[in-house]
Amino acid sequence: MQFMDMKVVQSRMSKRLLLNQMTKWLFLASAIFGLLVLAVLLYRVIVDSLGWINIDFLTSVLSTKPEIAGIKGAILGTVWLMIIVGPVTMALGVSTAIYIEEYARPSKLTSFIQTNISNLAGVPSIVFGLLGLTVFVRLFGIGSVILAGGLTMSLLVLPIVVVASQEAIRAVPSYLREASYGMGATKWQTIKNVVLPVALPGILTGLILAISRAIGETAPLVVIGIPALLIPVPTSIFDRFTAMPMQIYYWTIDSVLVAEYAYLAAATIVILLLILFTLNSLAIIIRNKFDRRY
Amino acid sequence: MKKYGLSMMMVGLMVFTVACGDNSESEAVGNNSNDSSNNNSNSSTEELSGSVQIDGSGTVYPLLSRIAEEYMVNEQSNVSVEVSRAGTSAGMKKFIQGETDLSNASRAIKEEELQELEENEIESEEFKVALDGMTMVIHPDNDWATEMTEEEITDVFVTGKYADDDVVLWSDVRDEWPDEEINFYGPNENHGTYEFFVEVLIDEQDLVEGINLQQEYSTLVELVSEDENALGFFGFGYYTNNDDKLGVVSIDFGDGPVAPSLDTIAEDGEYAPFTRPVFTNLSINSAKEKPEVKDFAKYIFEVADDLAGETGFAPLPEEELNSYIEFIEAIE
Repeated sequence: MQFMDMKVVQSRMSKRLLLNQMTKWLFLASAIFGLLVLAVLLYRVIVDSLGWINIDFLTSVLSTKPEIAGIKGAILGTVWLMIIVGPVTMALGVSTAIYIEEYARPSKLTSFIQTNISNLAGVPSIVFGLLGLTVFVRLFGIGSVILAGGLTMSLLVLPIVVVASQEAIRAVPSYLREASYGMGATKWQTIKNVVLPVALPGILTGLILAISRAIGETAPLVVIGIPALLIPVPTSIFDRFTAMPMQIYYWTIDSVLVAEYAYLAAATIVILLLILFTLNSLAIIIRNKFDRRY
Repeated sequence: MKKYGLSMMMVGLMVFTVACGDNSESEAVGNNSNDSSNNNSNSSTEELSGSVQIDGSGTVYPLLSRIAEEYMVNEQSNVSVEVSRAGTSAGMKKFIQGETDLSNASRAIKEEELQELEENEIESEEFKVALDGMTMVIHPDNDWATEMTEEEITDVFVTGKYADDDVVLWSDVRDEWPDEEINFYGPNENHGTYEFFVEVLIDEQDLVEGINLQQEYSTLVELVSEDENALGFFGFGYYTNNDDKLGVVSIDFGDGPVAPSLDTIAEDGEYAPFTRPVFTNLSINSAKEKPEVKDFAKYIFEVADDLAGETGFAPLPEEELNSYIEFIEAIE
């Protein structure tokens, strides 16, 4: 006796196979859509920037005349920002992660901190800009300088570093810690000599990703108030500055005044993308190369 | 394990040292040195340093940024003149807080702003910088509304004048024009251009409902250039730099249609009814404390005439500019 009516099965087979094929193509199309958008974006930007990227563009200061304008000031401004963002987020982020993962006992306070770090990651960047404006620029009275911008950016990307560091610390096998305790090491000695060195690749990956996020952020800087025309290059953290995304923003808007600004903006985008791709590749290399080597 | 840790630290450090290395070559810019020495900058040959903070009107920005650049390139390379353009009113708020030394404006300063300045003990002086023509722009393919009377313009932007529901058709203005709805555009309330239009040209009457008010002039240019039924207004400079993408309305003030141009928007020009001066407000406090502010303020009026035309403004009479220079020189 047959339990299945093969005729019924057969009659539906072609439909099912068709559906299978269709879903496959649908999902492929979804996957390709994102890539396509990226390709169009890259194509347009690169075409616009052709002939505008050269050494002079990278080493000249800003100007209202497109033929002599350069982004030295913007590049240095971005670099100075990162000099603040790197150490500050590293120190605060890793400390937070060590506290939560190594010291804190599961309690209401711990889960409160944990929840808020997740919430912090979801706060729109423009809100951080307002925070930076009211706290750093106005309340502390340091003005729209690199320090204020850097601290604002640090707060913005802090959750990325905290979460990455937490994951890295959590991934350190407990037998390594236990071995350290077994040798008579204290908790701090264990963290310093065993946990952190093992977790470092993961932490650095997080840091690099955080920095590459900060490099591209515009909204907080718009709120803090970056001059549209600022020619001298910054030389200390107390100088006023401009940064690459700000320059892109202003040049894009001002292209109604001087059409060539659009090409300068495109050229700046290409440089910025190159920096971001380099940083992201670095993060991937670090992750792959140093994963689980103990 | 330690080795890996170290090598990772190295990578981390490298990111920063590469960054720092770049920086040492940058020329020393005496930023924020702000030496309030007693040397008044009567002679412009004196080496000055420090910074001049400017914010305010987006209409005036192209002119002031050109002047700032000329100043830094030709006069005082150690002074950092920083120009922003948040809009006249937004810039004025910063000026009142003492955050800026000069505040550009595309309308005259208001009574309440003067009061707030007084409360904050900031002494300020308003100077005209150049003349700008309020330019009415349309789509380049619009071949009907290229000439309008002054009254038609001021009425069409006012609510309820042509249609109670503010759905104004071109044919409501003149019968022979198309039966299509006019879409209105202009800069938003942050801009002095908006205030001049509402307060002076349409006498504080309410604008039509549904007018599309924008913060950025670039957005306005884009919108008008893509909308066949657009009718918008902004400063002459933003039109003249985009005259391939925009059409312009010649306005009949009674003696035949006049198109805005550098000649017609000049002092006593034929476009005069729609012409307005653009201003910059100088903080006398800053000028007294910072010689670079005083020196730059003086420089503005020395070169405003030469650079005005280039950036879409008509120059002011020379005597007027000279009187400003004398005024600034007298600030002690």
